[in-house]
Amino acid sequence: MSRQKLIEVSASRKIGDRNMGEIFFKRFTFNQLAQHWIMIGTFMLLVVSGMPLKFPDAWWSPVIINLLGGFSMRTQIHHAAGIGMVVLGVYHVVYHVFVDKESLLDRKVWPTLKDAKDFWQTILFYLGKADHPKYGRYSWKEKFDYWGAFWGMVMLCVTGLIMLFPFQAMEVIPYAYVHLSTIVHTDEALLATLFIFIVHWWNVHYCPEVFPMSKAWLTGNLSEEQMKHEHPLEYEEAMRQMNEKGGNS
Amino acid sequence: MSLFKKFHLLLKNKYVLILAILFSLFIGVTAAQEDVSCYHCHTKVVTEFRNNIHYDKGFNCANCHGGADTSNASVISYSVMSGDFIGRPTRNHITDICSKCHVKETEDYKTSIHWDAIEKGHPEAATCTDCHGIHEIRAIKDPNSSSNHHNSPVTCAKCHSNKEMMSAWYYGIKADRFDTYKESFHWRALDKGYTLVATCADCHENHKTKTHTDPTSSTYPENLPKTCGKENCHVGVNFDAKVAGGLVHDKESLHTGELVFNKSSMDPHMRDYYLGPFDLAYWIAIFFKILTTTVIGFFTGMVILDFLSRLKIHRRF
Repeated sequence: MSRQKLIEVSASRKIGDRNMGEIFFKRFTFNQLAQHWIMIGTFMLLVVSGMPLKFPDAWWSPVIINLLGGFSMRTQIHHAAGIGMVVLGVYHVVYHVFVDKESLLDRKVWPTLKDAKDFWQTILFYLGKADHPKYGRYSWKEKFDYWGAFWGMVMLCVTGLIMLFPFQAMEVIPYAYVHLSTIVHTDEALLATLFIFIVHWWNVHYCPEVFPMSKAWLTGNLSEEQMKHEHPLEYEEAMRQMNEKGGNS
Repeated sequence: MSLFKKFHLLLKNKYVLILAILFSLFIGVTAAQEDVSCYHCHTKVVTEFRNNIHYDKGFNCANCHGGADTSNASVISYSVMSGDFIGRPTRNHITDICSKCHVKETEDYKTSIHWDAIEKGHPEAATCTDCHGIHEIRAIKDPNSSSNHHNSPVTCAKCHSNKEMMSAWYYGIKADRFDTYKESFHWRALDKGYTLVATCADCHENHKTKTHTDPTSSTYPENLPKTCGKENCHVGVNFDAKVAGGLVHDKESLHTGELVFNKSSMDPHMRDYYLGPFDLAYWIAIFFKILTTTVIGFFTGMVILDFLSRLKIHRRF
């Protein structure tokens, strides 16, 4: 458990601000925020330019293709955004495995037994039979989001690259596997799109607590109130460490 | 006086006019009686022929249908129905007519499976006119031509999507060739207006169409690299065809499982060559159906439960 990370509490004291003195909790570094922004940009472009090809007979398919500026423009947008996403994925892995100093095993994104328990408790809570589970830094939903996206990125980037360079790929793998990748690519993309638009957007946009959106994706900060509600265990830990620090000094 | 004179002049002019009209009518009628053209009976056919590239080049009915060519070039007279007049050629003799000029094309066509079938006594197999049109033969470059590059799928589908026809005389042909082509990127791009993609004739050859089990066929597994690597297509293809074969047309049957469960009709050489990964493809398609349904269904349920719990409980924390 790294203490340094938990007490990264940034205090905002803007003069004249009516929230003067309010404490913000550092949730994401700028690096992570920038990765997420690039992810949003490339993902949206890829969905818009890819789905008309997944459902070519839908009424909206030619409409979107025309809006994008024709079929070859659609293809170019998809390829460019796709390469952007591959670069982002490689950067993400390289940065967080080799550059980030925190030991891999200490990362809080790994699924734990507590997540399984929290998952069950959440269902019980929805049915009115238990209290809401108390989450640490990442809830089981957020971990599922992350690893879902991770798996999706691997699948989509690999199959996408195969389809971008089909004949180069065929020097290594049979043609049949290029066909396989079209199935994997489009089906996985549909899964990712539905998951983002329904589940992820509910959690960060539509959910009454944060509607119209949680500002964490822009500022990287959580307010004290949000912290208490959504990550009580992390809040307690941070407070304890702050008090310890305060007591020592 | 001057008024009367003017009226008289006008009347005079009118008579002149009427006379002129009557005279021209007379000339027209007599002339028509002398020259009963093909147009009088075959109005539709001759109208179609006006769009024919051969019409533009100065050919007329007699050049194909035979007979004595004695009158004007566009709509020749009935005297054509004499001499070596052949009228409507039978399907297996259409090549005889076209080959009078298109020697090379006919030579190529005669190596095709279509001609093979005609020779075996199946005259419904495709011949020149099925792809190029009968009287409305347009230039290949003409976008309205049925044998234009991007009209080729629809033209071939006229027969190849016809179940009765495909099963009637040749057991090996599936009637879903166009439907499975529609699964490919080639068709999807073509359909959305991007014409720089392969259509039927690009891979199967326009005149030398052969079955993919024929070693001289452009779609024979060993020949695929050359076919895909054509000029303007996937240039610079350099892969081992032995491993790079595949069932281009059978992606759809993957989803239905037809190919996975019905391999018995396949040629054993082809089966060893292609199958294996395709079983995998079928199961992967199933896997993703289940995965997507489960994950999205479950989490949508969670979202709904989350929403309902908020209706009941005002303070969750």
